[in-house]
Amino acid sequence: MNPPIPLLDVQDFSLQFRTRGGTVHALERVNLRLHKGEIVGLVGESGSGKSVLSYAMLGISDAAARVTGGTAVFGGLDLLGAPQRTLAELRGREISMIFQSPRTALNPIRPVGLQIEDVLRRHAVAPRTGAGTGPEQGKGLRDRAIQALREVAIADPERRYHAYPFELSGGMCQRVMIAIALACRPALLIADEPTTGLDVTTQASVMDLITGLARERQMATLFITHDLGLAAEYCDRIVVMHAGHAVESAPTKALFAAPRHPYTARLMSSTPDRQASLAELAPVPGHLPDLRRSDLPPCRFLERCTRATAACSGPLPRLAPEAEHGVACWHPLQPLQSPQPGALPATEPAHV
Amino acid sequence: MSEATGPAPLLQVERLSRRFPVPGRKGAQLHAVDDVSFHIRPGESFGLVGESGCGKSTLVRLLARLLDASEGRIVFDGTDLAPLPADRFARLPQRALIQMVFQDPTDSLNPRFTARDTIAEPCLLLAGMDRAAAQARVDEVAAQVGLPAELLGRFPHQLSGGQKARVGIARALAPRPRLLILDEPTAALDVSVQAVVLQLLDRLRRELGLTTLFVSHDLNVVRLLTDRVAVMYLGKIVEMGDSQSVFQQPAHPYTQALLSSVPGHGPRIRLTGEVSSPIDPPEQVCRFASRCPAVHDRCRREAPLLQGDPLAAGHPHRLAPGQTADPVAACHLARWPGRH
Repeated sequence: MNPPIPLLDVQDFSLQFRTRGGTVHALERVNLRLHKGEIVGLVGESGSGKSVLSYAMLGISDAAARVTGGTAVFGGLDLLGAPQRTLAELRGREISMIFQSPRTALNPIRPVGLQIEDVLRRHAVAPRTGAGTGPEQGKGLRDRAIQALREVAIADPERRYHAYPFELSGGMCQRVMIAIALACRPALLIADEPTTGLDVTTQASVMDLITGLARERQMATLFITHDLGLAAEYCDRIVVMHAGHAVESAPTKALFAAPRHPYTARLMSSTPDRQASLAELAPVPGHLPDLRRSDLPPCRFLERCTRATAACSGPLPRLAPEAEHGVACWHPLQPLQSPQPGALPATEPAHV
Repeated sequence: MSEATGPAPLLQVERLSRRFPVPGRKGAQLHAVDDVSFHIRPGESFGLVGESGCGKSTLVRLLARLLDASEGRIVFDGTDLAPLPADRFARLPQRALIQMVFQDPTDSLNPRFTARDTIAEPCLLLAGMDRAAAQARVDEVAAQVGLPAELLGRFPHQLSGGQKARVGIARALAPRPRLLILDEPTAALDVSVQAVVLQLLDRLRRELGLTTLFVSHDLNVVRLLTDRVAVMYLGKIVEMGDSQSVFQQPAHPYTQALLSSVPGHGPRIRLTGEVSSPIDPPEQVCRFASRCPAVHDRCRREAPLLQGDPLAAGHPHRLAPGQTADPVAACHLARWPGRH
């Protein structure tokens, strides 16, 4: 039996920024797959390239960006070769995005209900009631916008329809963003740090809402976050990024049971949780390498890694997109070996 | 129990309130901080947690004397600071003794000041040092916070997030404060950098014998860095006690819900209902009643007071050294196993 065709299939994707300060090698040979209905967490620290990757999927990269290799296929459509007009039809309709700070992403001088209607009108989604033109259609759009507000659990949607973003709380604004993103029932949702700046109880309810709607509608969701703990709670699978490389990809349970890339293990041990003591927090040594360097090592974690050997200067093992638990490392941690920061053996037989 | 067996508290907050007038609504008042009392002993690390709008920022600004209180006392090292207007406090010698590390190191550093100038400024303005003494002090604190000397000539945009955080901490330490207020000091940092900064703060606290007030919404971080913790909800402290007990056995339904929302903290308690308004809240109703999963009639008739061990609630300084106060909670339903 053939495995199911992924909804989004990104292979060996490379992207650079040409800047006055030099060429930034922002993404290099990144592999990422999403299936229908799957919630995948894209986890990494700032500068790891997670947002750059998602913007590239939507075709809204910075003008200085150049795709230098690889493919990105969404439901049979080549995202990299498609004309802008096709992508414009896709955005908001098939692929939607929830941005980081809802207050700046929303139009401050337009009532939120009208902002939802804008999306519906742009994509000419046939209204459910009052089909036709003129005031009839207007009423249909309005009903749908109110329905969209109701679906994201906004109390009193008829009144909130007229509210401006400044009249709503941060959590409420994020719900409006979600309503806008999901108004056209997209097949793929990209949520870029959707709960940054929100309180923990609000964060939990916003995440419940996104993942609940994703499950209900069989919508594939790419959840971008720097918070491993949050990804662990809500994602089926996690892809860990470091300095423009996807270094590990695994089902959430397997990843937390036995992280295989040394960076993943370090990231986990540097995250405060409910048990670990302060002394047990093990920071990741060193810094992200400067991505403008022309002498970047093949493995961009090499200079921070305690397991590095001469073999690591060779070409980086490819993170196989079809692998259940893939890792781009010459000396990955052994499966089911618990990460013991500080006690990592300096070398181990290469196991690829 | 005999009187005053432990050291006198460094900071003693008594029935502190701050109300703001509401624009456009004559006579209406927003109760940002309402009848808050707590103590911080010398060398202690006290945590303050709560969600946005709970009044923790107002409370911090009151304690740092950047804002004037409506009522109550702020007794710092034996002197009540509350009657002093905030604009006058800026010129008093106590200003140097209460210092603050701000949330975002990028926003809170002057972009036109080098790291050295930033750290030297409070030495010159507050601690009354001359140029030479200030420069020597800069080198000393820079070494304490692990800021290499060659970075001192740099401007904020030439520093990494972790380095900027160190500059912010060094600036606060420079005038030798006795109370250090840390307002979400790692919220803007990546986890790998955050771990380093948290360990640095803990080391500084122990080495310099600092008393700290640590404000954060990240409960995992607060648990790591504090001895005692207070949980705020709509201007009131709803639970207070030693951090281990509060995090392991939260007694107030709000604390329970808050902890359960942190990823990895087990079954979620979902809060429904809207947050009640902080504008002239009814005196007799529990502020959490509108969202409380365990609400009953009494909660709407009689607002609960902080209950538990009264000795610990009002007078922690009466405890013997090393003795831990039992947690207290403002809830009719709060029960602790093994307590009467």
